[in-house]
Amino acid sequence: MREEELPYKGIEGIPIIKEPGSASKVNRGSWRLVRPVYDREKCTKCKICFTYCPDAAINWTPEGPEINLKSCKGCMICVEECPTDAMTEEKEGT
Amino acid sequence: MQEFKNLKDLPEQDYFTGGSSACAGCGPSMELKLALKALGPDTLVVNASGCMTLLPLYPNTPLKVSWIHNAIENAASTAAGARHGLDMLGEKDMNVVVFAGDGATYDIGFASLSAAATKNERIIYICYNNQSYGNTGFQWSTATPYGCETKTTPRGKDNPIGTTDVHKDMMKIMGAHRVYAATASLAYPVDFLNKLVRAKERGGFSYIEILGTCNTGWNFDPRLTVKVSRLAVQCGMWPLYEIDKGLLTLNKDFQELKPIDEFVKIQGRYRALPQEGVEKLQALINEHWAQLKEYNGQRYV
Repeated sequence: MREEELPYKGIEGIPIIKEPGSASKVNRGSWRLVRPVYDREKCTKCKICFTYCPDAAINWTPEGPEINLKSCKGCMICVEECPTDAMTEEKEGT
Repeated sequence: MQEFKNLKDLPEQDYFTGGSSACAGCGPSMELKLALKALGPDTLVVNASGCMTLLPLYPNTPLKVSWIHNAIENAASTAAGARHGLDMLGEKDMNVVVFAGDGATYDIGFASLSAAATKNERIIYICYNNQSYGNTGFQWSTATPYGCETKTTPRGKDNPIGTTDVHKDMMKIMGAHRVYAATASLAYPVDFLNKLVRAKERGGFSYIEILGTCNTGWNFDPRLTVKVSRLAVQCGMWPLYEIDKGLLTLNKDFQELKPIDEFVKIQGRYRALPQEGVEKLQALINEHWAQLKEYNGQRYV
């Protein structure tokens, strides 16, 4: 069904979210007390951090993981689960 | 669709983005992210009221798939209706997935779930079980395990155990509906995604129950979310198995289970549980585990 055919078209007060994944623009980085720091030298590209990130803040590139600090809430699962210590933590504001 | 072999084999595309209002280290949002990897973009997620309802907050959504939110009682009915509607429109390849919490599955939405399972509607029902009503502040539900402290079953002088009732064996109930029922854990993502692939290939009603590790309710450091989920499996608290038309298969078999002490001592919800309570919990787990071992590969329900 096209958008103009929707039965509630034009009725005010019905919220329609038009852009999929629009929350990625929201800054949740302010929730964070510690931030993950990535070391390319130690990384074995095992994809554990990418799989376990609950906020999809780690994107996968051919060179390895890329942390999106706008989405990262600082839960530190990636630091805890990394088998080679390629992810370390650093206090925010330092 | 082929089954996945290891972590590197999992799809790289995510249909879930960051910026949601879920807690840091939230187990269920990780599970939704993983589930959408296996299900793909042609998916309709039907959500019963719960924590995950707060993901798409107007005007933003972290999802790249369709999403219906409905009342806590009727997620399975809505999904069955959506399935029939999509079939009539010719959208037969679209997946209809329910994502509901344990309150909506075990307690409030149980009638509609049972009806949809009996009619063998072609939907996948994922229950993220955080063993309480986590969204409203961690109250007791029928999924709460023995010895756990909740807001409505606090520990005190009269009741040092907390939750004195043993939780409902939902897997056995769903197995008795002669559908595909399986447990999963976020610590074993390949196993979880393969179960979704199997459910999709199989057609008909599938029930997948996943431990929705909740760091704010269970009271532990968010960095331990995966570790706690893994310990739950290794201690026998959350065994990984599937029941297909009554036949039981144990997916993760251990020679010897880890003592439940390891699981209990890192969580605030079991704080100050007396030794007799820990022993009773261990006895309950041993009994369930022995039953699963005995019926492995045989007819269970």
